[in-house]
Amino acid sequence: MKRVKARFGGRMVAAVAILLTAAAIVSFLVYQKGMVLARDFYIVGATDRAPQIYDQRFQVVTVDNSAGAVALRDGKIDVFITGTTIFTRKDDRSQHAAGALKTYLGKSEFARLAETYPLSQAFPLRVEINYLKGVSTDDAALATIPSAAMVDRVSADTALPAAEPEFIPPVTGSAAVIQPPLVSTANSKSDEAVRQQLIEVQNARFIPEFRAEFAPDMELIVPSLMTPPMPLAQVLLAFAYILPIFFISIFFTSSFIEEKMGRRINVLLSTPVTPLQVICGKMLPYIAYSLLAVTVITLFLRGNVLLALAIFLPVMLFIFSIYLGVALQYRTFKDQTFFSLVAVTLITGYLVFPAMFVGINDLSYISPLTLAVQMYRGVDITPVQYMLSAAPMLLVFVLALTAGSRVFNEEYLMSFRPIQKKIRDAIYFAMDRRHLAASAAIFALLFIPVVFMLEMGIIVFSISLPPALALGVVVFLCVVIEEAAKSIMVCVAAERGLVTRLKDVALLAVISAAFFFLGEKILLFLSLKVISESIFTSAVFASSALWIPLLVHAACTLTVCLLAFRLGEKRYPLALLAGSVIHGLYNISLVGVFS
Amino acid sequence: MNGFFSMVWREIKLLRKEKTIMFAILIQFFIASFSSIILTGIMVYYDPGSMGHNASTRLNVGVVGNDVRQFSICLGERRHHALHYTDMESAESDFKAGRLDAIVSISDIQSDTVNMKLVLPEMDAQATLVLMLLKEPLERYENYLRTRNGVTLRYQDVRSKPFTTYEFLYTIIIPLLIFFPAFIAGSMVIDSISEEIENKTLDTLLSTPVSINWVTGAKIIASVAVGVFQCMLWVILLIFNGFYVQNGFLILMLSAMVTAIIAMIALAISMFFRDRERSQFIYSLVILVLFSLTYLVSPSPFSLVARLASGDPSVGFLHVAVYVVVFAVTAAMTPIVTRKLSRA
Repeated sequence: MKRVKARFGGRMVAAVAILLTAAAIVSFLVYQKGMVLARDFYIVGATDRAPQIYDQRFQVVTVDNSAGAVALRDGKIDVFITGTTIFTRKDDRSQHAAGALKTYLGKSEFARLAETYPLSQAFPLRVEINYLKGVSTDDAALATIPSAAMVDRVSADTALPAAEPEFIPPVTGSAAVIQPPLVSTANSKSDEAVRQQLIEVQNARFIPEFRAEFAPDMELIVPSLMTPPMPLAQVLLAFAYILPIFFISIFFTSSFIEEKMGRRINVLLSTPVTPLQVICGKMLPYIAYSLLAVTVITLFLRGNVLLALAIFLPVMLFIFSIYLGVALQYRTFKDQTFFSLVAVTLITGYLVFPAMFVGINDLSYISPLTLAVQMYRGVDITPVQYMLSAAPMLLVFVLALTAGSRVFNEEYLMSFRPIQKKIRDAIYFAMDRRHLAASAAIFALLFIPVVFMLEMGIIVFSISLPPALALGVVVFLCVVIEEAAKSIMVCVAAERGLVTRLKDVALLAVISAAFFFLGEKILLFLSLKVISESIFTSAVFASSALWIPLLVHAACTLTVCLLAFRLGEKRYPLALLAGSVIHGLYNISLVGVFS
Repeated sequence: MNGFFSMVWREIKLLRKEKTIMFAILIQFFIASFSSIILTGIMVYYDPGSMGHNASTRLNVGVVGNDVRQFSICLGERRHHALHYTDMESAESDFKAGRLDAIVSISDIQSDTVNMKLVLPEMDAQATLVLMLLKEPLERYENYLRTRNGVTLRYQDVRSKPFTTYEFLYTIIIPLLIFFPAFIAGSMVIDSISEEIENKTLDTLLSTPVSINWVTGAKIIASVAVGVFQCMLWVILLIFNGFYVQNGFLILMLSAMVTAIIAMIALAISMFFRDRERSQFIYSLVILVLFSLTYLVSPSPFSLVARLASGDPSVGFLHVAVYVVVFAVTAAMTPIVTRKLSRA
């Protein structure tokens, strides 16, 4: 807090106050003028008989009939309007301008119809929206639309009428069995819906209430007055909630980097304060700002503040974990900016992509944005759904704090080394060098949430790929991640000379594999309560008889660790590949590719 | 003068090594290479209705009801398939099996008002797409019913093209692409100056025969060169993607002027605050205020780029010349301000 005060006190306060006042005045003036990006974009020639045009997108030039026709032909105006007739040229600019003018005038036409005719005649079509669960994503690739059977059935009964190329007549001709539509809304009720939509169309420039969905089940719409739905509310929620947290966490990282650059961190290290206290002390104010931001955003979007805080607190802690990692790893602002950019891209992807599958695939529950969408739709959130998205993030936070406080020493913080070497250094500093077996077990368990999040992310990203390719990609990437998580601590211990005998390396490898297996199975048990099993989850979290996968885990980790021990640090990728190939072949065999 | 150009070259070489800048340019290049596809995606947020115009998907719509002939014709005009079902249950069964994208059930059409039940898939994205594809057939059917009721909607027969994609491209996307490198250039100048100040290398540089204005001038020219290069890349890639950008030279000239003005403002800010964090913060606020302020002048830089790119005959060199004058004034003031701030 003091740092923020010092940084943003003094002449900064004056500068910020002046700029914010200027921003407020300018915003007011812009609001008064009306926010139109395409101001004067189209040039309209209009005679004095033409309707009035108040839209700022149009520069209106008053012309008479002959001058208008000439100006249109010469390209000096885009469209020419006289009375209720609009003249255009054939080129794109004129055609688009005509489209914009037609839509603008169309809105006043609706008002005219509503005033001139009874609503039942002016807006005669009332559509009730209903939702029905369709085909699932796993089956979607197999479904043919329309099915060959359906086409055969239709064409066998009757031929297509020549005048109606796309109209396929009834499958069976009996009119008597047709059931009436379920819509039986009284006209007065639907007229009220029309009036409401007319008001919405007339006030379209104001920001509508955020609903995270287009139309609730059973809502009535009128096609000509329909406001297009805002798709994928998840993305909007991501922008609304996540971006402010990113901004705040960048300040947190900057504060750390600055301490490192100014070597003030050395002074901190010499005080009786523990590393964990330093990290938490630096992080807490920024977490408080983030909580405030979430509260303000939720109040603005008229959501449930407590629920929003519960949903976004794990996200905040997760983002701060990643940024803590960036701050501990790097010493320059350039590196910080670069890796912050990469982190923003990856974290946003992890949060947004799974949430795209709301309502179609339970995998969406790995992202808290799914819960946020449910919150704005008034759908209940179960504790298991909450834990599935929150627990991995909270565990990553615990891992980051644990690792962060252990690597918080001058040697690590002030050194310039490539990222892979810094990661190895971090693992070396984080492990308890006197109790390596316990360290192997704890590392294996702590890595599980990270591995889980990465694997879930990979599965979600792969859904859009062709099934065969997706399976290959998922299996390959996931086994590499798992083998790396199980073997890295053992390999670092061996490389730094903490274990020198082959049998000790083997023992640590088996312990790491066993604890990873144990944690993975517990997590699988919990996640399958929410996520329905698919070919991908089977391939990654294969669950046959318990002793076989345990043996496979142990064998693969042994392969990686022993090869790396024999071949040396530089050959670690090769050893990792060897272990991954064995693990991958086993996983693929489980989903029946070889049978 | 050779010394000055070697400093400019040094700055450009330093920028080339800058991972962040290269990453940002790479992302921009990637986006621009697929801009026609990405534009369609972004358009969905700007105007969800554009999905109906841009998507070429043909839907299979199950139609239930006694008098569905006219609605089926409306579907056929947009090349969607109307599959007639005698009852809702069999339609729902095919819908659940993935053979139908939507179901429409129409009530008695003899009265003034027709009630229709539209069944959509539960998945958000799919439901939105299907609804937007059905919007036009539904509107056509609504107009048919209006005409039958003796009501005429004017301006419906005007020959035109959908305008939202066109407006979005020229008034939002192209101005953003043209000015984004300018914002980045300002940020780069702040990073570069702050680093020189914080690492005390600026003092070392100033102990050589070069003046402070040579040092800062080289940084500004390097950032403007990178900015204009990015704009050129954007324009070329947009043309490759089938988006015609008119008045390319004037747009690049405007971009260079705006980039230089922003870079000089960023320079003054970083020389005043002398540390990166505060300079970047103030710079963001200044840019926000300045660009909001330009909205009040006509044409604003955003609007001018949009109108130049779309071939508006009422804008041209004279409008760009205004920014050349602003640039000249800023360029004349910058050395004085820089000298003063460097002594502070």
